[in-house]
Amino acid sequence: MSTDLIVDPQIRSWVFLPIVVITFLVGILRHYASILLSSQKKVELQQLADSQLIIRARVLRENCSYIPKNSFLMRKQAFNKEDGYLLQKRPPVTQNMMTDPSMMTDMLKGNITNVLPMIVIGGWINWMFSGFITTKVPFPLTLRFKSMLQRGIELSHLDASWVSSASWYFLNVFGLRSIYALVLGENNAADQSRQMQEQMQMTGAASGMPADPKIPFKAEWEALEIVEHHFKLPDVEKEILDG
Amino acid sequence: MSKRKAEDHVAYSEAAIRNNLSIVEYCRTSVSAISGCTAGILGLTGLYGALFFVFAVTSFWFMLLFNAGIDSWKKYFISRKSLLLNGVFGHFFTYILCWTFIYGMVHVY
Repeated sequence: MSTDLIVDPQIRSWVFLPIVVITFLVGILRHYASILLSSQKKVELQQLADSQLIIRARVLRENCSYIPKNSFLMRKQAFNKEDGYLLQKRPPVTQNMMTDPSMMTDMLKGNITNVLPMIVIGGWINWMFSGFITTKVPFPLTLRFKSMLQRGIELSHLDASWVSSASWYFLNVFGLRSIYALVLGENNAADQSRQMQEQMQMTGAASGMPADPKIPFKAEWEALEIVEHHFKLPDVEKEILDG
Repeated sequence: MSKRKAEDHVAYSEAAIRNNLSIVEYCRTSVSAISGCTAGILGLTGLYGALFFVFAVTSFWFMLLFNAGIDSWKKYFISRKSLLLNGVFGHFFTYILCWTFIYGMVHVY
């Protein structure tokens, strides 16, 4: 089955293996570079207080069945009354992202650690190792996969399960994700596809904490307003004492 | 009455559960990488490789349940099924990568 094409063993040691090693090491390098470049996010005191407030309201809502009705109503009142925590008046927060210089440097650093290596290394690999058939996937594939797996080789008679060097690089980029998780720990910065997604989301709201607290406050207020209270432990003293 | 109630409401520590799951995730990644390498060395092709992956994952699942205790696994994990099926496609991708890599190293050239 594998005798239809004979591949020079030199390709193995000078193309196939180097691509894997380079991709892996670049991922590791990216992880440590992003640690080196990352700046501690400065959190506004007010923002932190707001997010903690929302967490408190949610905890109350989720666990309300473990406190007596009276206590629950008292807490709910503290959150939801006319001038309570969730309805307090605030001066509107206007924070322009583009004029904030720290935000700009963060974005720049993100670009340096993510996009630049991807372009440089990808381009270099494409230039250096272009046009080689590197390996064969050990399972049959249909013709549709040809364009995916044989980038850089336009041979119409080649079986679809052969992989070109450029495609082998991309397979490595996406496939080494879990290996990075194994080597570097859970929240590593080596995986560039995930980083790209985060970059996309970052452009909308800045880093999880909303700029305007009114909207999540309103949602939480509504949720707390409609929650129905059932006390789950009405005769807990009796049960515990009975054993 | 009280006994039935105690069985109804089982409280899990969320941090502990998450810790357990992340450890299991590490193990599963290792299992898929190692089984991929094994399949590559053995030179499995086509459907045999996929069957080998299913075999490896299932046997890892059994080993895990055995290690946690056949009866007491509920103490450590909420659901047995999600232990088997969580992120299985991602692991399959890891498996395919290792399989292809080692197969190429050993058998193609």
